[in-house]
Amino acid sequence: MSWLGPVRTASGGMRRHKVQAVAIGMVLLISTASATLGLALLAASNTPFARAFGAQNGAHVTVTVNTARASTAALTATRGLAGVTAAAGPWSESTVRTQFAGQPNGQMTLAGRASAGGPVDDVVLNAGHWADGPGQVVLDGSPGGGGPVLGSKLTVTGVPGNPALVVVGFGNSVTYTADGWVTPGEIGRLQAPGAPRSAQMLYRFTHAASYGEVRADVAEVTRALPAGAVSGAASWLASENQATGNGAIMEPFVVAFALIGLVMAVLIVGNVVSGAVVASYQRIGVLKSVGLSPAQVVLAYLSRVGWPALAGCLAGVVAGNVLAIPVLHDSADAYGVGSQQVPWWASVAAPLGMLALVMLAGFGPALRAGRLSAAEAIAAGRAPRAGRGYAAHRLAARLRLPRPVGLGLAAPFARPARTAVTLAAVAFGATAVIFAFGLHSSLSRAAASQTRSAAIPVQVWQTGPGAGPGQAPTAAQDAAVTAALRAQPGTLHEVAQYVNQVKVPGVAGSPTAQAFDGDASWTGYGIIAGRWYGAPGEVDVNTAFLNQSGLAVGDTAAVNTGTAQVTVRIVGEVFHPSSEPLVFGSTRTLPGIATPANLWQWDVAVRPGTSTGAYVARINGTLGRGSPWRATTQHDGGKFYAIASGLIGLLALMVAVAAGLGVLNTVLMTTRDRVHDLGVFKALGMRPGQVLTMVVSWVAGPAVVAAAIAAPAAIALNTATVRAMAGTAQTGIPASFTQVFSPSGLALLSLAAVVIAVAGALLPASWAARARPALALHAE
Amino acid sequence: MRQQSMSGDVIRLDGVTKTYQTGSPPALADLSMDVAAAEVVAVMGPSGSGKSTLLNLIAGLDRPTAGTVTVAGRRIDNLSESGLARFRARHVGIIFQFFNLLDDLTVEDNVLLPAQLAGASRRTARARAAELLARMGIDQHRNDYPARLSGGQRQRVAIARALVNSPELLLADEPTGALDTATGQEIGRLLQQLNEGGQTLVLVTHDPALAEHYAARTIRIVDGRLARAGVPA
Repeated sequence: MSWLGPVRTASGGMRRHKVQAVAIGMVLLISTASATLGLALLAASNTPFARAFGAQNGAHVTVTVNTARASTAALTATRGLAGVTAAAGPWSESTVRTQFAGQPNGQMTLAGRASAGGPVDDVVLNAGHWADGPGQVVLDGSPGGGGPVLGSKLTVTGVPGNPALVVVGFGNSVTYTADGWVTPGEIGRLQAPGAPRSAQMLYRFTHAASYGEVRADVAEVTRALPAGAVSGAASWLASENQATGNGAIMEPFVVAFALIGLVMAVLIVGNVVSGAVVASYQRIGVLKSVGLSPAQVVLAYLSRVGWPALAGCLAGVVAGNVLAIPVLHDSADAYGVGSQQVPWWASVAAPLGMLALVMLAGFGPALRAGRLSAAEAIAAGRAPRAGRGYAAHRLAARLRLPRPVGLGLAAPFARPARTAVTLAAVAFGATAVIFAFGLHSSLSRAAASQTRSAAIPVQVWQTGPGAGPGQAPTAAQDAAVTAALRAQPGTLHEVAQYVNQVKVPGVAGSPTAQAFDGDASWTGYGIIAGRWYGAPGEVDVNTAFLNQSGLAVGDTAAVNTGTAQVTVRIVGEVFHPSSEPLVFGSTRTLPGIATPANLWQWDVAVRPGTSTGAYVARINGTLGRGSPWRATTQHDGGKFYAIASGLIGLLALMVAVAAGLGVLNTVLMTTRDRVHDLGVFKALGMRPGQVLTMVVSWVAGPAVVAAAIAAPAAIALNTATVRAMAGTAQTGIPASFTQVFSPSGLALLSLAAVVIAVAGALLPASWAARARPALALHAE
Repeated sequence: MRQQSMSGDVIRLDGVTKTYQTGSPPALADLSMDVAAAEVVAVMGPSGSGKSTLLNLIAGLDRPTAGTVTVAGRRIDNLSESGLARFRARHVGIIFQFFNLLDDLTVEDNVLLPAQLAGASRRTARARAAELLARMGIDQHRNDYPARLSGGQRQRVAIARALVNSPELLLADEPTGALDTATGQEIGRLLQQLNEGGQTLVLVTHDPALAEHYAARTIRIVDGRLARAGVPA
């Protein structure tokens, strides 16, 4: 009490500095919330997968082999290869089509495994038990959600007898080695007549941290086996990318906002303490003359920012946790590892780190106050150093500007350090706003390019059972769709799309081929490099294909479509963010894919002026209720884009508000410093409107400079962030995704700097304008 | 363009009371007075008597709690802040004890400022400033900053600044209070010359000599009330 009492008295309490307290609290709230969210996303994107991968001895590579080419002994021998640290298998596998509750349930890869455990891919049972008899299956994932539950029956189609499998359990394989598991003896019953027999081998390697290392590992296994034995290989990196989900994609921009908030917090707090010290030289002198020690003075000034900073940090943690809920929920869905929460250490590290940083920022000026001699402090008063800004005033007086504007424009030169802080706060705020607009535009373009809803407003999907074997659509039902589309006058383009897995020797993973039965150049895929395929023998691929294969645009690849082996030239890289390697080509280039079983959808473009809703209704009316195909309208975006856009807007608004508060704080300090001058101006006849104009003009110059800095900074930040997000999503991006600013749009957005500065200055300016001149003249 | 009231008084205060805080004694209590055109009136009284409050009310820098203040034929106690600012710019010049020059403006820019705020044309304002600086004998310092001038020179700049808009009324708050005796007398003589030219002047001062030598009439205020008005011998 005896030591702290004077400190409490000297710090003056925050009641006398409400606006500064609010500014500090708000900026700390914003930066702590962003930091908490950033750390949570960092943890969400790494920890659960890494933990699950370690606990389950996840497979670095799942190799699919043609058992006709490699014996069990040869496969077992690969366990001893250099670099292999653990291996499991071979386990027979079969890819089958299934139905659930009479509806198509998609294609599933089932592996025959006697148990869930093992040295590699120790599958975690979520429900039920492991398959221990014929007719049983354990599915990857969790029960419910409208899908199968324990006891549900799946019908396997396309194999003799259409056998039924009862779901006896649910499990999670961290690297998705299979969609389900049956007993080893069951696989033989699930093989389609004539289909090649295959098995899977699971490996862990010494070096498998990158696609390059994984490719080298797969090559080692491939060399050790007879030619053609390895028909596919899936990397754990693809699973990791899929597991980290959208939370990881959001991480770069959340981190960018967190960094902006952090720098602003340091700047503003440093400015507040420094301003308080400069404005209170006399007070410091008096405090010292009545016996306060240097340490007590330092503590008094730090406590002035400490309490509001602490309050801001605590509120920021709560806000960060609230903001994290929708983002982490999205990410948790991707993991399939249950709900995700902000880790406790993020809720501790973010506020503590921010608090430490701001106290450090305030320590320098507080120490300066502590070191001032009493006489020096009293003598120095609060006046800026003589001579600063005089030339600017002289110049401003010669300009043909209204005098209050000239006085205002010259004023910042009297306190260059404070002006620099104002400029920085405005620049950061404006950068955040421009960046947010840019990022929103970039993501909108990505969303539009991903769904291609502008190019393809209508799609036709299979939504009901067909009349063919296994309830597949019949050729007549398919032909009816084509006829209906071609008969509609509103149809501009239509193309059928066939989808099937293909094999590309030497390529890690089993690429999915999307084959179009006509011109598909209008379907609106974003081209990252090269061009859309044209001539026969040409294909496009996505970035995941290039990453996993090590191939590049211009290279050739041998593609095994199941019925034919063709050599294709990769002529373009298309934007299709997926960890799954994809190949796009015509049905002529990819023979054997265009079978009724592989018919996936029709993409349709309508003529300008055609109502898509009416168009869809007409198509569906023509097809009738008996058709398994239904036309639907395409919608833009999705949950990720909605969450990301909302988050971007919120973070940008928070940073802009913090910047405005930083300006408000600086202008407030300056009006307090110059209150006597303001009194003189008023005594000389300066009207309230002229005072307002002059004070707002104090920040106009820095705002214009800040705008000039913010525009290129935001472009650079947007480009870097979008590339980082694309990198996280393992996709390249078309140049158009980052070139989102037109010169006029950028100029307009740069006005954000002026808006932030003026908005921040208006309140103290109006206070200054309203102040009674007699009081101002006598205030010191 | 100078204006005067119908009665010929430049200043008229009727029953003016000024209280700063409810419950505290008034700084001025029921004070009535007037000042005629071209008159020099000295306001004297001990510290805290209400002299500066009176000056603030006449200058329109503050408002009375009760009563009316009429200056240059215009009632100013009910004007808005903007109206008061316009009034000050056009009708009143104020000279302060500590000059209140703006350190970061040159001498000429300090003098020009009220004219510019009042919207005077650049050419007119410059001509008027040049004339006043010459009249005050400091035209050679027009490009200097106030910090380089002596106290007397600074007060001359302040007087020039107060006169730049040709106000009907010049208010001087302890104009020699921060000056040595010789310089104070110089400033006194300067103010006297201005009055001889027809300038109405109200001097707030502690200095009986200044009041005696230069004022036609002295008003004494004690505890916010008019003590007596007298004509110096």
